[in-house]
Amino acid sequence: MGQHMARPCRLCKILMMPKLARSVDRTWLPLHSYNVRVCHWINVIAAGYLLLSGIHIFLDFPELYWGNTGYQGYPAIFKLSDWGLSWDEAGALGNRMWGRNYHFTFAWVFLINGLIYVGWSLRTGHVRARLWPGREELAPANLGENFRDHLRWREPKRAQATSYGVLQKISYLLLIFVFVPVMLLTGLAQSPAFTAAWPWLLDLFGGRQSARTLHSIGTVIFVVFVVVHILEVLLAGAVNRVRSMITGRFLVTGEEK
Amino acid sequence: MSANSNRMVRPRRVSRRRLLASVPALGGALATGCSDVFRPPVIRGGLIGAADVLTMSTSRWLLADQPLAREFERSDIAPDFPTWGQTNPSDEEYQRHLREGFRDWRLPVSGLVERPQSFSLNDIKQLPSRTQITAHVCEQGWSAIAEWTGAPLSQLLEAAGGVKPGARYVVLDTVDRWYESIDMFEVVHPQTILAYGLNGGELPVGNGAPLRLRVERQCGYKNLKFLKSIQVVDSIAAFGRGTGGLNSDFGFHWYGGV
Repeated sequence: MGQHMARPCRLCKILMMPKLARSVDRTWLPLHSYNVRVCHWINVIAAGYLLLSGIHIFLDFPELYWGNTGYQGYPAIFKLSDWGLSWDEAGALGNRMWGRNYHFTFAWVFLINGLIYVGWSLRTGHVRARLWPGREELAPANLGENFRDHLRWREPKRAQATSYGVLQKISYLLLIFVFVPVMLLTGLAQSPAFTAAWPWLLDLFGGRQSARTLHSIGTVIFVVFVVVHILEVLLAGAVNRVRSMITGRFLVTGEEK
Repeated sequence: MSANSNRMVRPRRVSRRRLLASVPALGGALATGCSDVFRPPVIRGGLIGAADVLTMSTSRWLLADQPLAREFERSDIAPDFPTWGQTNPSDEEYQRHLREGFRDWRLPVSGLVERPQSFSLNDIKQLPSRTQITAHVCEQGWSAIAEWTGAPLSQLLEAAGGVKPGARYVVLDTVDRWYESIDMFEVVHPQTILAYGLNGGELPVGNGAPLRLRVERQCGYKNLKFLKSIQVVDSIAAFGRGTGGLNSDFGFHWYGGV
């Protein structure tokens, strides 16, 4: 796709970004397609509700076990009370009725949105073109350099600004094709109806309580992902990055050439 | 665990046939637009209601062949099955029955059955029984495995002459004024039993003596303890706030499959 000629950047002036506002050679590069943007923001809402409602459900029974059995008094592998929040205090914070209603509602929003995104991505070649790392990207030297850049909090170079980094690609692929299916299945493995239909779910995760524990560990992994994701966006230019996920266009200034 | 009451009698085929006939097969239900098995009696508004229907219809579609919930080994039985919620109703009449060992206790079965009547605990124990080692899955997050012995609900309804045409739900009332309803899809399931035994012994008070519902493919909150009466109805509108159960009157989903 062609590059768009720059227009005066009002947003940059409003946001007191004189460097961007002044720069003469500004180019808008198309970055995110319509589908990616719509799915992304629906996902933000759905995943946000899933996280919040999941925490509510957990707080009403803040212990984790392994196997098929687990109840108050049974040997637990994690107790929130060991971390300073008593059973009653946790119960007062959590509301499982609200949590269950919204968890299952936004699980459907998340699932349908995700299926649309994955179906579209596979059909249009989005996965291959934008997410699948090339052989040279996976070379140890490149992986190492990418990793070191992350450790040094170095923002991506101009040439890389409109494509995903190799670690970014790997984490997105793992998130979409490994993490989300595991979260879905560990969620279903806690349901008496779905485990009656699919008893292998219990065998797959070693029991209902094991599935609940893995689902909770997955929640922590998801929180880590979100924190890192937001940090990366801030690091790579918050306004430009967030704007590109809304408008689809990413601003590249001449001064960086 | 004592091994004295491991009698396992398969429900007679004949006795379930009439009940089954009252339940539209899933395929037929789809074809005719009869959606009882796919939707709760009252659909909540908005996105939550849409998700309720999606959840229920998906699980019912997967359960179309009426598979059994997993049954476990005796070695899986929890050392001390939790007593949750109500553990000893203060109701005077209940306390009298408890003192008398439920000698005069009776369970009225009314509504859309051919011969409405009440059953003594002994009557219910004379019905063909089923013993199953299953996981109780609380919607709160805990689960525990126990061996339940009881009469299949379908056997009890058969003993009351079978259900009349138009029967859609079974409403269960409890001593502590709780109520819930389950649809015919759950009623005809072999593991849906009225349990009077736990782990080879009598059902303890804390677990709902003398009789509790086991509906193994739904969460704990549908498995009412301290049963008081059973009604077969075509509509749940007249009960409570009309949503089909006290849990759903409060705001939980009527269908406890997830």
